Formats: sequence, C-alpha cells, structure tokens
Amino acid sequence: MSDVVIDESPEAALRALRRHRQRNRLGELDWFEAAYRVYLLGGFGGGSVLWISSSVKDQTVGDAALADVLAHGPAVLGLVAVLAVMAGLRGGAQGGPLALEAADVVHVMLAPVDRRAALMRPAVQRLRSASFMAVAAGAIAGQLAGRRLPGSLLAWSASGALFGATVAGLWAGSALLAHTSHVRRPIATAVAVALGAWQGAAVAWSVPGPGDTVGSIGLWGWRQHAVDAVPMVVAVVSVVAGVLLLGRLSLDALARRSALVAQLRFAVTMQDLRTVILLRRQLNQEHARHRPWMQVRRGGATGRGLWFTVWRRGWHGLLRFPLSRVVRMTALAAAIGVAQASVVRGTTPAFVVTALLGFVLGLEVMEPLSQEVDQADRADAIPIERGELLARHLFAPAVALVPFGVVAGLAAWLSLGARSDALAPVALLAIPTVLGAATGAVISIVRDAPDPFSSSRTDAFVPPEMAGFTTTIRLVWPIVVSALTTCTVLLVRGAWRSGESLTGAALRGAIGSMLVVLLVGYWVRVRDRVRHAVRKFMEEGRAATAQQKRGVWS
Amino acid sequence: MTTDEHRSDDQRPGDRSSVPALLAVQLAKDYGDRPALEPLDLQVPAGQHVALVGHNGSGKTTLLRMTAGLLDPSGGEVRVMGHRAGSLAARRVLSWLSDSPTFYDDLSLWEHLEYVGRLHGVAEWQTRAEQLLERLQLSGRRDDIPTTFSRGLRQKSAIALGMVRPFDVLLVDEPFVGLDSNGKTVLLELLDEAAAAGATLLVATHELAFVHRVSRLIALRDGAVVYDGVPADADVHALVLPA
Repeated sequence: MSDVVIDESPEAALRALRRHRQRNRLGELDWFEAAYRVYLLGGFGGGSVLWISSSVKDQTVGDAALADVLAHGPAVLGLVAVLAVMAGLRGGAQGGPLALEAADVVHVMLAPVDRRAALMRPAVQRLRSASFMAVAAGAIAGQLAGRRLPGSLLAWSASGALFGATVAGLWAGSALLAHTSHVRRPIATAVAVALGAWQGAAVAWSVPGPGDTVGSIGLWGWRQHAVDAVPMVVAVVSVVAGVLLLGRLSLDALARRSALVAQLRFAVTMQDLRTVILLRRQLNQEHARHRPWMQVRRGGATGRGLWFTVWRRGWHGLLRFPLSRVVRMTALAAAIGVAQASVVRGTTPAFVVTALLGFVLGLEVMEPLSQEVDQADRADAIPIERGELLARHLFAPAVALVPFGVVAGLAAWLSLGARSDALAPVALLAIPTVLGAATGAVISIVRDAPDPFSSSRTDAFVPPEMAGFTTTIRLVWPIVVSALTTCTVLLVRGAWRSGESLTGAALRGAIGSMLVVLLVGYWVRVRDRVRHAVRKFMEEGRAATAQQKRGVWS
Repeated sequence: MTTDEHRSDDQRPGDRSSVPALLAVQLAKDYGDRPALEPLDLQVPAGQHVALVGHNGSGKTTLLRMTAGLLDPSGGEVRVMGHRAGSLAARRVLSWLSDSPTFYDDLSLWEHLEYVGRLHGVAEWQTRAEQLLERLQLSGRRDDIPTTFSRGLRQKSAIALGMVRPFDVLLVDEPFVGLDSNGKTVLLELLDEAAAAGATLLVATHELAFVHRVSRLIALRDGAVVYDGVPADADVHALVLPA
C-alpha cells in the first residue's frame, strides 16, 4: 500500500484505500468457517423452510376464499408496504438508513472528499442487504401462499420476491429522501400516521388505499395488472433520487448512529436477537420517557420485602416506555391475533409466525428482566440468590402483557368475522397465548446471563461441528418454546372442524399455555441452583475417578 | 504544518488575513429541552491560540463538534476560514482531534496514517508520518492495530493522525488525557510548532497549566461564555467551577 501513486484525487485515494481494507479483511477471513456458516444458513435454514412448508398439508382454498383473497389481499399486503414506508420516513427523519463505522465519520467524512462519492458504497451495501432480506422473506411467504392458492409455486415465490423488492425499495427510498430533505421528526411521524391510518381504513372498509397497488404485486402469482408496475417505478425513482442526494445526509446523525453500528454487527454475528433489538431502539433514538406515564406510589416498598421491591422497580421501567414502543407492541399484539385467526382459518404455519411475533413482544416487555441481566455486577452484589431475583422480575411484565393479550384477542375475534361463537374461545386463549409466546424471550434473556459458577464458557471447548449445532439450537430453542404455546390454537381448529366444543378446546389450550408459562418461571428460579448442583456432581465424579485411577496405579 | 504548505499555487487563496479563522453567529445547541450551548457570537482571528475551559457539561465539546461539522447546530451558524462548517472547503483546512479517538480495527497505525494523509492529498505523508511516530515514541508500534492500544497510546496515535495532514485550524478536545509526561511534552511542542506555522488553535482542556501558553482564554459555564480575554487577567480556577 505504501508504493502507490500519491498524486491523486481524494476520491481515488478513498477507492484505493477501501480496496486495501477489503483485502485486509478477506485475508483474515477463515474460508472454512465462512463456508460452514453458509452451509448452516442455506442448508438448515432454507431446508427447514421448505420441509416445514411441504409437511403441512393444508387444503387449497375454495372459490369464495379465493375471491376474498383477491378482494382484500392488495389492501392487506399494501399495509405491509405502507408500514415499510412509515418505518422509512421515521427512520430517515431520525438519521437513517445509513450507519457508518465510527472511524469513517472522523477520517473520511471530515476529509475533503465528496460526500456523495464517499457514501455511495455504504448506501449500496445497505440497499443490497435490505433487498436481499425482503426478497427472501417475500419468496418464502410466496411459496407458502402458493400451497393454498391456485397457481404454480414458482410464480407465487417470484411474485412474493418482487413484492419484497418493491417494499425494500420504497423503504430505502423514503428513508433516504426523508433524511436528505431534513424532514423533521414530528412531520415524518404525522405523514406516517396518516398513511397508516388511510391504509388501515382500506383494510377495514375496503376503500382504495395508498398501498393497494403495491399489495397487488403480491398476487401476481395468480393474476397481473399493468398498473402495479407504477409502485415499482416509484421505488426505483425514490432510491435513485435518494442516492443522488447522499451528499445532503447529516453528519451529526451519521456520527450518532456510527457509535452503535459496531455493537449491532457484533450482536448480529452472535445471533443475539435481544441485543439487536436493543440497539435498533437506540439507533432510532427511542429513549425511556423522562416522566413516567403515571407515578408509582412513593415509599411503598419500605419494609415490604423483595417481591414488592422488584415489582415496583419493574413498573418504574415499564411506565417509562415511550409512545412509539407502546404503539409497536400494540401492533405486534394485533398481528398475533390476526396470525392466530389465520391458523383457525387453515393456514397452519401461521402459529410459527405468532411465536416469532410473541417472542419479539416478549423482548420488548421484559425490559426490567433484561436490565437486571445486563447489569450483572449490580445483580450479583445483591445478597439474594439470583434465580429468586430474576423470577420476581417476571411478574410486572406479565401483568403488563395482559392488555396486549386483550388487543390480540380483539384482533383475532375481528379477523374471524366477529362471530359470537368465537368470543368465548378467543377470550380464553388470548392472554395465555400472548404470555406463552413471550416465554421464548424470557429463555433468551436469562440464558444469556453470565454464568456465576464458571469463569469460562464451556461451549468454547466443544468441537466445531457441535458448536454449529449448539449455536443453531440456541437460536431456535426459545422460538420453539414460544411455538409450543401458540400451537394450542390448533386444538380449537380441530374442535371447530369436528364440531366439538370450542370452549372446551380453548380451555385445554389455555391450560397448556399457562403450564409452559409456569414451567419457564420455575426454570428461571431454579436454573442457577440446578446448574450448580450438576456442576458439583460432575466435579465430584471427576474427583472420584481420579482417586480410583490413583488407587489402580498404586 | 499548515494547509498552504501542501497546496499548489493555483489552489492558494489570496489574502486570508481578513477572514476570521472561526466565526460563530448566534450559534446554539439544545438537546430536547436541555440547552447545551446558549446563542454564542464568537470570532477567532487567523493564527490566534485559544484555550477553552469550563466544567464538565459546560458546552466545550459541543462547540468544538459543531465547529468541526460533526454536530448540527440548533440555531445560528459557524464558519471556518469563511467556509460553512462541515463543507468540503472547511474540512480541507480544519483538523479535529477528538477526546475519544476512533480507529479502524483492520488497519495498522501506519496504514491509518497513509489513509488520512492520502485522503488529504499529502504528497510526502511518509516523511511526516515517520517524524510524528518518532517524536511520539510510536515507531515500534507502527505495524500494530491501534484499537488494541492502551488509552495513552491511542491518544498519541490520534495526535499523529491529526497532525499528519495539513490544516489551518486545529481543534483539540482534552488532548492531555491519558498521556504520559513525555507525551504531554511532545504534544505541547507540536502545538507550538503548528502555532509558529500560522495555524489557529482552539484547545478545550481541563489542564489549567496549559492556559498560560495561549493568547486568549474563553470560559464556558452552563453553555454560556463567562470569560473571554487574556489568561493573565483571569482567575482560571474560579472560572471552571460550575454555577
């Protein structure tokens, strides 16, 4: 690198030096490790999606249901697109969607280099990754739809992918334009809320919505409309315009976001979804409210024991959730209800979607528990067994989840056509399902707590083949537990199809979900104790073996 | 080492002595409902050496970061050698030495120096880099990754990076933190040399001994200027106390 020509433009120097950094990184890359990760992701992830999809033998929808999909599908899918635009607008107004390395902010952005040229590469990388994720998600959703709707799987996958790409383009374009136009946050929020409300009305009352033509792309697996090409053009134009205006990005925002990016990338590398969500919240400048929604009564904890102290601390945190977070949690709860209703209607894999949504909702609401786990030094300084402390942190969030359970139940009931015979089963299942779905988050949070009995992680010494398997299990296990509680809706569907009592089935399902909730709570309480006992047992075993060997040799 | 040393004649501006090195007009910053810097009018002539003092949270770093273009003002504006802060022309003439240095974790110290030197179009960056490393006693670490360095070595590396490039204005935030006595001595020498070469210096510091090396002292308290004058006339210890 030292022998390069130095009479060059700063832009040329930047390109040459970035190439050099790329060579550095590639030189350090462990190709075997990278290939193994690709194998895990492609083989396990892709294979799992196809296997689960094909193993679910759902019936093809009838003519009436198909007409329903064609009538309401564009508006519902359009809502997804509008949500993406809303996220883009708000993200852009808060300094997104780009985030640079902290060192780039100081060494490149403060150098006399054309900022558009300097930002082009990170912008393209961001667009590429967003498009890839959206196309993959769209294709997976498309092939799932293709199993129940007329048309080839390939056509549905392609239309899903095209829809995903358009949504990604609209998200990136709206974010870039909001940022480069320096749209203020309240204005971005107002526009986003107006768009969301309009599209919400389109879903509820079948009026034309702003996202309908985008949503219509998602049905190209069955039929194609030329007018649907308009949002694709809009997406491309907005992205191109955003890229052309890159030089107007605020360095203030880029500097602020850069500090979090390294942590975010590390968290993604470690498949640490909880940290990813936490850092995403920080990137969006989502801070706790300075003043809580309501004051917890002062002085109530004095002399009233550990349970009350922890309960009170939990509410101190929960009542400081910002409005944006509460709205997001409400939307997650509503989506849980809609997904569960679609399971009842026949789309079996939707209970996995419910589990994922509930997992994310759980990560949101379990903030007091997360804080305790993240401040391990503080927790360990308290003269109370950690399991006892963590278990008590579950109560306030569990109570806080109740209204979200009601929202989920209401959304499910409305999705099922507000039928009177659905009211009782929905009322019985809603809260246990939401609580149960959140248990995956509890497992994820508590499992990542530092081990007080060991100075090193035992999984650091397992062979690579086992390490990959262990990593996958660690990633999937909490979702599996969440799914155990959300699949109870299948009992209701089974009863509905066979003409049995819906209320009885719902009651059995609710009891099943609550059993999982109680088991997870118990696990949190005794986890450290059990691990300590197991470790002691193993050490005693090793000591006994060593003594036997000494006896044999002597 | 000022910008002109590295500029060809066709790039050399005319007489810049009439243009203030820094000009802040009603410059203000607030974080939500909390003001970090009250509306501030400030003019620093080219070549002046200014110390900026104040208690923690007084607004020193906010002022410097806005001048560097790293922070958007809530009101007013700041110009560097007549150019809008953060503009291409301002970035060409201003060097920023942060109190929390940042580095790439895949470049050695020498590669960092090359990166910064070349981005600023420095033809003889190697010579300058070698001199700086020698003086800062970093020659033995030139091929190491600075993200692995101790606090003091990171600070020295940041000084080298700030000085390897040309500048007319040098902004320095808490430069002495973490430095050993040798490091402090070298930094003071480098600052003196930059001043002798005609650079404008604005140094935010808690090192009150440094204050007597400069020609002008500005003290901030709770985001407002409470003193602006020659250091000899000021009770510096009283100025850095919070309200």
